[in-house]
Amino acid sequence: MVNTVQRLAYKAFGLQIYSELPLPELPLTDQPGLIGSISVIQADLAERWANIPKVSLSLGLLGNEVMFEIKDTAIFSVQDGNTIVVSPAAHADEDCIRLFILGSCMGILLMQRRVLPLHGSALVIDKKAYALVGRSGAGKSTLASYLMDQNYRLISDDVIPVMVQNGHPLAVPGYPQQKLWQQSLDYLGMSSSSYRPLFQREAKFAVPVHDRFHAEPLPLAGVFELAVSSDSPITVQPIQGMERFHTIFNHTYQKHVVSHLGIMEWHFSLIASFVNRLPIYRLTRPEQGFSAPEQAALVLETIHNQVEER
Amino acid sequence: MNNTNMLSLESVLVQQAGNIASDMDGEKVMLNVKNGKYYNLGEVGGEIWNALASPAPVSLVVETIKDNFEVSAELAERDVFSFLQHLLEEDLIEFVSRP
Repeated sequence: MVNTVQRLAYKAFGLQIYSELPLPELPLTDQPGLIGSISVIQADLAERWANIPKVSLSLGLLGNEVMFEIKDTAIFSVQDGNTIVVSPAAHADEDCIRLFILGSCMGILLMQRRVLPLHGSALVIDKKAYALVGRSGAGKSTLASYLMDQNYRLISDDVIPVMVQNGHPLAVPGYPQQKLWQQSLDYLGMSSSSYRPLFQREAKFAVPVHDRFHAEPLPLAGVFELAVSSDSPITVQPIQGMERFHTIFNHTYQKHVVSHLGIMEWHFSLIASFVNRLPIYRLTRPEQGFSAPEQAALVLETIHNQVEER
Repeated sequence: MNNTNMLSLESVLVQQAGNIASDMDGEKVMLNVKNGKYYNLGEVGGEIWNALASPAPVSLVVETIKDNFEVSAELAERDVFSFLQHLLEEDLIEFVSRP
């Protein structure tokens, strides 16, 4: 007999996600995703973790499987680009486990599927996607949040799956939530008491953004790398030549596993296939003070000029 | 490094291992895994690089460039020597023999 029961699954990162663990921040779907369908299951991984060859204390690799351990939280196994296995620690914080499923695990899984996970926030500006990348604390989320207040929609926060079609990069939506640091919440005038901490040990807060989320893939038309300088004014400069490879490599989510997965060649060739059609800029801001409005103005002006030049 | 002074038409050279190369809209781009540096060899440079996939004398590389890009022997020789010296300086190719 044909089983006609429609199992509901979650939708995020271009994936249809069948999950044994509740992922309440994700919308539901009964459609296979643009990138495919995957499963998140729960199992005891203690023995598997003990036996897998380690490349570091907390990272193990064997064939198409990547395992990592977050102490007091869980052991995770990401397999074949289609399965995430979670083995929670006793008394682990569920929010924290989900943070790793929807972050680190997704980054690794996307690479196993040969989809580039860019680390940053992506927004819709003039019907195209623009990514904000930069190291932790550079101000990605704050600038993204400010732009969202100006009615620009969020495509993804933290992990941006990038697919390449005919030499053109496409940004795939993540899920409708934004992570913010305590400091930027204060600047933006939201009360942090109404949002729940993502992870108890980090002062980061999860902000649902259902009404300001763009759920369809869009061409990625530009990347802004945010940088901080002690006393520089706010400036924007194009990143050119081979430095663009470095920028994309640097802001690939879970970039440290690229070489371990044996996919450096794929990663490099993928960047080469689209980098000439992707303007990349460095946006430098002063260390002190809240300059999101000026940064946003400069980003919008740069995009406007870029469109004029075409 | 006096490697470069030794370069002659009879020198036999080969690519160093450990580079990842790809095509970027007709130009050869490369990542040296060891030093983490990125290179754009360009179109002509890419042909020179390809010609050294297995050990080859400089004279053969000059021939390849002369034929592929329809330039004079003199110009091909000058360009190839200058480019090979860059590749040697960056440790991207090595001598197999240097008569």
